Amino acid sequence: MVNQDTAARPATQAGTSEGIGYFARFGVTERMIAQTLATALARGGEHADVFFQHRVGSDLGLEDGAVNRAYATVELGVGVRVVKGDQTGYGYTEDLSLPALLECARTAAAIADGASRPIPERLHVRAGLPDRYPLIRPWEEIRPQEKLPLLAGLNERAFAADERIKKVNLFLRDESGAILIADSSGRIVEDRQPMTLLYLSVLAEANGRREQNGYNVAGRAGFDFYSPERLDRVVREAVARTTILFDAVTPPAGEMPVVLAAGSSGILLHEAIGHGMEADFNRKGVSIYADKIGKRIAQPFVQIVDDAANAGARGAINVDDEGNDAGTTHLVQDGVLTTYLHDAISARHFGVRPTGNGRRESYRHAPLPRMRSTYMLPGPHRTEEIIRSVKKGIYCMNFSNGQVNIGAGDFTFYVKNGYLIEDGKLTRPVKDVNIIGNGPQALERVDMVSDDLAIDEGGWTCGKDGQSVPVSQGLPTVRVSSMTVGGRGT
Amino acid sequence: MSDLLDITRRAAALAREKGATDASAGSYRARHVEVAWRDGKVEKVSEATTRGLGLDLYVDGRYAAVSTSDLRPDALDRFVEDAVALARTLAPDPHRRLPEPELYRGQANVDLQLEDPDYGKVDATRRRAEAEAIEAAARGVPGASAILSVTTSVSDTRSESALVQTNGFEGERRGTDFWIGAEVTVLDPDGRRPEEYAASGGRFRSAMEAPEAIGRRAAERAIARIGTRKGESAVLTMALDNRASGRMVGMLFGPLAAAAIQQKRSFLEGKIGVQLGSPLLTVKDDPLVPRGLGSRLYDGEGIAARPFPVFEEGVLRSYYVDTYYGRKLGLPPTTSRSSNLAWALGGRSQAQLLTDLGEGVLVTGFLGGNSNGTTGDFSLGVRGFRVRGGRLAEPVGEMNVSGNHLELWKRLAAVGDDPYPYSAMRTPTLVFEAVQFAGT
Repeated sequence: MVNQDTAARPATQAGTSEGIGYFARFGVTERMIAQTLATALARGGEHADVFFQHRVGSDLGLEDGAVNRAYATVELGVGVRVVKGDQTGYGYTEDLSLPALLECARTAAAIADGASRPIPERLHVRAGLPDRYPLIRPWEEIRPQEKLPLLAGLNERAFAADERIKKVNLFLRDESGAILIADSSGRIVEDRQPMTLLYLSVLAEANGRREQNGYNVAGRAGFDFYSPERLDRVVREAVARTTILFDAVTPPAGEMPVVLAAGSSGILLHEAIGHGMEADFNRKGVSIYADKIGKRIAQPFVQIVDDAANAGARGAINVDDEGNDAGTTHLVQDGVLTTYLHDAISARHFGVRPTGNGRRESYRHAPLPRMRSTYMLPGPHRTEEIIRSVKKGIYCMNFSNGQVNIGAGDFTFYVKNGYLIEDGKLTRPVKDVNIIGNGPQALERVDMVSDDLAIDEGGWTCGKDGQSVPVSQGLPTVRVSSMTVGGRGT
Repeated sequence: MSDLLDITRRAAALAREKGATDASAGSYRARHVEVAWRDGKVEKVSEATTRGLGLDLYVDGRYAAVSTSDLRPDALDRFVEDAVALARTLAPDPHRRLPEPELYRGQANVDLQLEDPDYGKVDATRRRAEAEAIEAAARGVPGASAILSVTTSVSDTRSESALVQTNGFEGERRGTDFWIGAEVTVLDPDGRRPEEYAASGGRFRSAMEAPEAIGRRAAERAIARIGTRKGESAVLTMALDNRASGRMVGMLFGPLAAAAIQQKRSFLEGKIGVQLGSPLLTVKDDPLVPRGLGSRLYDGEGIAARPFPVFEEGVLRSYYVDTYYGRKLGLPPTTSRSSNLAWALGGRSQAQLLTDLGEGVLVTGFLGGNSNGTTGDFSLGVRGFRVRGGRLAEPVGEMNVSGNHLELWKRLAAVGDDPYPYSAMRTPTLVFEAVQFAGT
């Protein structure tokens, strides 16, 4: 666990009618928050929280050789939640006035039906949060004129890299977010959450055939994220991942050994175990992992974590969206299931401490247990040894998406680039193939784990119950002894 | 004049004041209520009235699009000013202009009936009673002892939106929708916990099936998953259940977008007038279906909505062309996004189609997978039932289908009589011959 200074200080130095923290600029005061929380608990709710959010996003797009489109978004709003046992009442509004807040609180309060509960007289701001995404310059200070040359340069370099490239699309997104969470224990937590993402997509043409692919990088970081090395990699990878497709074949259909390359192959963990370990599904008994805590589910060299603390990662958070500490959570230790990923509701249900996995897309949504950065720790095998061990199989490198049925345990991930493995060697490139397995079975079949862990730098987004949150994933090179490869022919 | 239209007009005017040559302003307001119920009690109630404003800014031949939920006048003023300044930093784009105003004219003179006048009669008690009734029905089916959990939901939305474009378009619309659904998880003796769902809804409350029917169907579907096995890899006839076929159809329709064509990311480029599917493939885009989930009198650009053929007897007839990419391609706009799909239906039910096909697989759901819009290659996880001797046999899962759309749609062998009513795509059961399944 990451250590945190939990020393508290009064919410305001200047009295309760002054604005509070970042949201003072919108007229939010400690008194308003206290009144909202009191109203929220007026009908017997056990816990209430208020979630303020201000998120400003800016996108620049390049198409057909010019940066000729910009998108700007502002999200400002507040959500009020009341919890009683496993039950949740939720209301939200874009209007940060006291009457609107109280209306939300009354809506949320209706989940309970009992006597009013008191809230503490004074609220306290949590101090000493970790600083996992320090910025040299906030995005608000970066003028479009500074970003434009970056896109123009990448466009030129992508075209120059290979004469088969006919179209280049680029998107650069940056985001400045602020959240404030206040709850009925009297705690106030504030966080500033930057995010940036760069996407380069190319279309190549040769001998009447076309292929398209791309590369993207993302992180909770500032403009300095785009180092020369990173930009080199963006161009190199986008072009290589596309042009190799001209030589790629479709693998055969059926069961075979699957070797997952270090990095974005962490999608295996996200789908095969991560979702199934989200505690809401287990609280409801609908996950294939329900009742499996403390049981051996993988080889003793398999260690899986979900980590909020990878500095600068897209899935990093200083605090979760319920105001709880967020550190490194060990899902699997020495092959044994250790803990689910909890939000406050499930933690109370199971009688454990929250793990800092209570996350939400925005103020329009109540929090749910969600992943952050999910990866497997290095294991005892060597990458060459793993590839050499496979007579006929597939080596998966890059992915576009995945999905899981939580209860049945079936999951998939879609491979954009990979290779056939024939007699212990990578031979022909493969493309566009879906791989399907069953979560616990696939983990059981992870029989080799290399020492080359890499956390992917890509812009992954996880969807659940209609809510999207940014996540990261990683993996060392891993062999799964058998999965179904959705190819064609034999 | 409604206050929403007034707000939207003022936003468009503000954009001009701040220096935009032209602007398209759209705003919305919606009330959404949702009750989730699980295993004997309310799990979650969410209720909110939400709002937002979006602006497309055309500034001296340059373009920026912005949206905000911060509608405080001072903030909006500054936001639009910044957005206009942002647009000025960009490269000019000669194709970025508002639609030709003549495309606004000729809206159909029909009542699409998108708003249920009885919306106000739904209250918290009724939603809760329905949510409870769905669960009770689910737990009443034969085999219900295998049920681990039942989650049901009842939701409704009332929304209004306005669109104002400075070259002469103004429009307003209002609508309602109502949905009920259930998800049921059962315990398979092998330890797996398969889940299934059922849902129903529409613009009017009367479009919904009874809560009891939804609860029963979700439970029956979940129980039918017990004993699921992976089938063997084989080339087989595939029947796609009407609930699932929308995913496959969406993968065929996505590359019809003018943006994909112009950016060379479409396997359907240059295919207008070409036979791409079997003669059974006839689909029209029809925005004027009364009470349709995708119905509209004008599209997102203000263009008057008209039905048009997309496929006729397997021949591709039209792309989805918006103003911007239409100008880049030199094509007249149709509309940027599909509305409702209207299919030339077959005369046989799904059960009859399964009898006809004899040996194959009925796919009831997809899991992940993707389709490459540039090449038409697809590979998708599936579950469903093996069909043997014309009847449903054992449940199968953890399988995959793959192929290429340019081959698949030529093998469309039958179209059902059963358009799925709870999606604007209204897909019927579709039967394809010789599809590659991967399994054991």
